[in-house]
Amino acid sequence: MSATRRNVLAGLVLLAIAIALPFVLPGRYLIGQLTLFFIWATVVTQWNLVFGVAGIFSLAQMAIFAFGGYATAMVGLYGGWNLWLALPVGALAAVVFSLVVGLACLRLKGPYVALLTLAIAQGMYLLIITDTACFSMEGVTCRNFTGGTRGLAKYGDFGFREWLGYKYMAFGDYYLALGVLVLATAFSMFLMFGPIGAAFQALRDSPEYATARGVSRFKFQMLVFASSAFFTGLAGGVFAGYYKVMGANTLYLSPLLFLLAMMVVGGLGRTWGPLVGAAALMLADEGLKDFPEYRFMGIGAALVLFVMLWPRGIVGAAEAIGAQLQKRRSELGGTSTRQH
Amino acid sequence: MVEGLSAPQSAAAGVNQTEPLLSCRGVSKYFGAMAAVKDFSFDLARGEVLGIGGPNGAGKTTVFEVISGFNPADRGTVLLEGRPIERLPSHAICHLGIARMFQSNAGFDTLSAEQNVLVAAAFGHAPRLIPPLTYGADIRRAADEALDFVGFRRARSTEVRGLPALDRKLLMIASALATKPKILMMDEPVGGLNLEEIEQLMALVRKLVAAGITIMLIEHVMRFLVQLSTRVMIMNHGEKIYEGTPAGLAQDETVTRVYLGERMSKRIVAYSAGVGPQ
Repeated sequence: MSATRRNVLAGLVLLAIAIALPFVLPGRYLIGQLTLFFIWATVVTQWNLVFGVAGIFSLAQMAIFAFGGYATAMVGLYGGWNLWLALPVGALAAVVFSLVVGLACLRLKGPYVALLTLAIAQGMYLLIITDTACFSMEGVTCRNFTGGTRGLAKYGDFGFREWLGYKYMAFGDYYLALGVLVLATAFSMFLMFGPIGAAFQALRDSPEYATARGVSRFKFQMLVFASSAFFTGLAGGVFAGYYKVMGANTLYLSPLLFLLAMMVVGGLGRTWGPLVGAAALMLADEGLKDFPEYRFMGIGAALVLFVMLWPRGIVGAAEAIGAQLQKRRSELGGTSTRQH
Repeated sequence: MVEGLSAPQSAAAGVNQTEPLLSCRGVSKYFGAMAAVKDFSFDLARGEVLGIGGPNGAGKTTVFEVISGFNPADRGTVLLEGRPIERLPSHAICHLGIARMFQSNAGFDTLSAEQNVLVAAAFGHAPRLIPPLTYGADIRRAADEALDFVGFRRARSTEVRGLPALDRKLLMIASALATKPKILMMDEPVGGLNLEEIEQLMALVRKLVAAGITIMLIEHVMRFLVQLSTRVMIMNHGEKIYEGTPAGLAQDETVTRVYLGERMSKRIVAYSAGVGPQ
């Protein structure tokens, strides 16, 4: 129980800092970057459930994110709904989409899951950018259902400008993204520390043994795909409302690799891994901002380095060092008592 | 009922006591053209310890795989308390009360010892449509009792990854117990253990029997098989070549020729008289 309490305490401290930050940060650029960090970190915490905790090598997470974003935008655009109401609809649409992906992967193992999910994401990308059919007319221009290569726009936003005024509108997006991240993190930790998380891990460690102890592979694969999709889709909706344009660039390979690197660098399957990894990669990316030619090389190098040297990520390495220190300390204590 | 196990394991009220607990009827399993198990039938009565022996590749583990739903039979039927189970998936068979152990020291390596048993306690007993969100008191109690029952002595927060063979086997038995099984299937439970550890496991099996659990075990260690089993089956090439008392093994010419050899047959006489090697 003390581990749970420590995690909650650490979370509350971080949350307090995050709440205070906009008031002390100079300028809107950093607030914007932090908003983006919250959005990516949300996706990584949920992806970690599938990839790290359940050990299913799905690369569909950005497709689920995009599905949520597109669904939110479309409900706003074609349904004329307020974007706040469209958000949960988008998230639920992402859950349904994710269930279909999970069903498709049910009989596959290891790298084949990665191949199929990547193909699904690429298929979705191609369907969007080759969409040229007229869905509706906007004056004299023809609008595609998915927005095609230009993306979707003019579906409204969260109205922070009217509420908070021009000066503080960035605060609205910041706190919304932060709120989603807090809920997503609490949700994933709740699952990880309970029986459902243990069932995911049991199936990852030894699928035969797990089923022999009553854990249904079908049920829990569906459950992990569904549960990890809700906040991912919600993050997609927040992204759409924040940028006010939803485009197929979310389905490019580079953001997918960026988020994968966050997960690996932070520590696969670890409680704080996704947040630490997202922070580390965002910082590194920020540092390399002025050297665009090294940006992707940097991410690639970080991935290679961590996979080869610290496969358990920053969090895993820190835990190992902590355990080592504790061991040494207790050994020292042991020898000193012996001398007396 | 022996201390440490709260739920009734078998002999529940209203159950027909003359009906076999488990019954295999004409089970065949083919891998390509090779018959791993051929037209195999047997009954298992409540409270029995049925030992299965035979040379490597005889089909012993395949029989286990068929019963536990890992490898459905190509022909034949498996009845648990009169109910056909041969088409059910393995997790459903676990829910019905058949807990299986594995020849390899299976374990959930990244989970703690306690979590290994908690998972089984949470999901292994009854089918739940909605999985439990937290470990309730009943789940914790079942896991606790199972760990106490097998005499697991290490810290329960130990990660399973680095545990020695005996502890892994004890955990596998504890997780099986946490599912409240009627039948426990043990596949070479003492493989890789030293003499002292074998004694410890034999004592545990006797304790399980006393708690009302019916046991099927596959074993090459003849002393273990002979001294624990109330009945023995010997398999060869997917068929049963012997079924009877452990003491009768030594008198059976086919078994001696195919599996035991003259020297082991003589030793079996000593084992079944209850004398172990020094």
